[in-house]
Amino acid sequence: MIYDANAFIGKWPYWPVWSSTPEEVTSELRKWSIDRAAICSTRSVFVNWEDGNLETEAAICKQPDRLTGFACLGTLELSHALPQHSYRVADYLARGFQGVRLYPQHHSYHPLYQSFVDTILEEAASLGCPVLLPLRIIMNWGMPTLDLSVMEGLVNRHPRVVWILSGINYLHELQLAIALMRKLPTVHLETSCVMGYAAVVKLVQQCGAQQILFGSGAPIQHGAASLSKILQASISESDREAILSSNLCRLLKNG
Amino acid sequence: MIVDGHVHIGKSTRLQIAVDGEMLIRAADTLGIDKICCTDLTALFYDMHEGNRLLYVEMQKFPDRILGYASLHSTRFGQAALDEIKRCRHDYGMHGLKIYSTPEMSIAESAMIPILELCSELKMPILAHTTPQECEFLLSAVPDVQFIMAHAGGQPFAHGDWNRAIMAAQRFPNLYLDTACSTVDTAFVENCVATLGAERIIFGTDMPLLDPWPQLIKALETSFSEADRRLIMGGNILRLMGVKA
Repeated sequence: MIYDANAFIGKWPYWPVWSSTPEEVTSELRKWSIDRAAICSTRSVFVNWEDGNLETEAAICKQPDRLTGFACLGTLELSHALPQHSYRVADYLARGFQGVRLYPQHHSYHPLYQSFVDTILEEAASLGCPVLLPLRIIMNWGMPTLDLSVMEGLVNRHPRVVWILSGINYLHELQLAIALMRKLPTVHLETSCVMGYAAVVKLVQQCGAQQILFGSGAPIQHGAASLSKILQASISESDREAILSSNLCRLLKNG
Repeated sequence: MIVDGHVHIGKSTRLQIAVDGEMLIRAADTLGIDKICCTDLTALFYDMHEGNRLLYVEMQKFPDRILGYASLHSTRFGQAALDEIKRCRHDYGMHGLKIYSTPEMSIAESAMIPILELCSELKMPILAHTTPQECEFLLSAVPDVQFIMAHAGGQPFAHGDWNRAIMAAQRFPNLYLDTACSTVDTAFVENCVATLGAERIIFGTDMPLLDPWPQLIKALETSFSEADRRLIMGGNILRLMGVKA
């Protein structure tokens, strides 16, 4: 089985992308031999996080064997005119979500100085709920990025959280991820934006395979190209299988 | 035949690269790539004479596999740069020019014009690490030069904006787009071909900075005709360089 730790449903505002509905996305993933994917809706990132979560929830209810939902949590709107959204991670788990994603670079907050982030992370740690934190949403230099030191600060402040670092590309970014993974067994890295030469081999050599998760960034990014980094890497078959599937299954406790 | 139009050789601590021709050819063999078009990192970032000479040595070791780009580290060396391009063309048998542009020292300036004119005269395509806006400036000045936008906008200084790169290429028929970049967006290569035609797109990997496999797959796993695929995967760069397959 191939299990993708970072895919999306929903529309892409920057340029046309061929697949957006859950059905289109799973069809495209199947074309690339990706059996299952952890998703959130791009509506959560670009419009309203809870509206997007409703889309994600509907998608995972409809295709529970293909899609795993991550709830995207963000800031409250300034007027507080809308009903207060819940930051209780347990509520999202009860609705069928299996993880949380944060996109501070798209939601106009500083994660080290907003108390709701600590609230979410403390509860996620106590529940063993994975939290995906992206440096950037996909590997495109035009996308807003989180400062590396902010990522480092948040991970170090909450070392018990099951982290999935995302959006890491190469050079110093990869070095930080490696340092954090070597320091904390709770830190994992998904590969959708990892583009450096022999980077997957380097990751396995320096950290072992247990903390590496295959991620595609599909359908915005090319699934087969993302997969090729893992399939062509000079690593053992057991390490490859761990990266492609069993590590994420273990984190999500649905293996 | 697959030709990689964008490969680096030599050393750069900043980019964490130290490779010779043998290592690159071994990688190319694994990937099924027949020829690699190389630029030397010393020439690109430090000393053009030293770096281009080093590349020439590697080209002699693998004459059927390594095609050379002469590289310049700046537009601002006047006649010395022009002489170096001629030396690389005539003495070293290099077929193109590579140059790097940064926001701090953009090549979109008048000092670049004689370089463009010389490359046009020598029929050397220029692979330039530039933004779409820089390409527009340069091609407006010297429209008949064959110009390849390295990374097709998919680099930090161009904000990853490959859509903008396509728009620039629509305005200038001599502007070609190189597929090598950190971007593996689903629509990237196919949109380039749909808008510009396959003859304007050049496959590259940017190895050994980038993992070449996603670069190869994003160009191969497409719905192109076999004829288009042949152009993208090598025909175009060989034609621009005047090299027979």
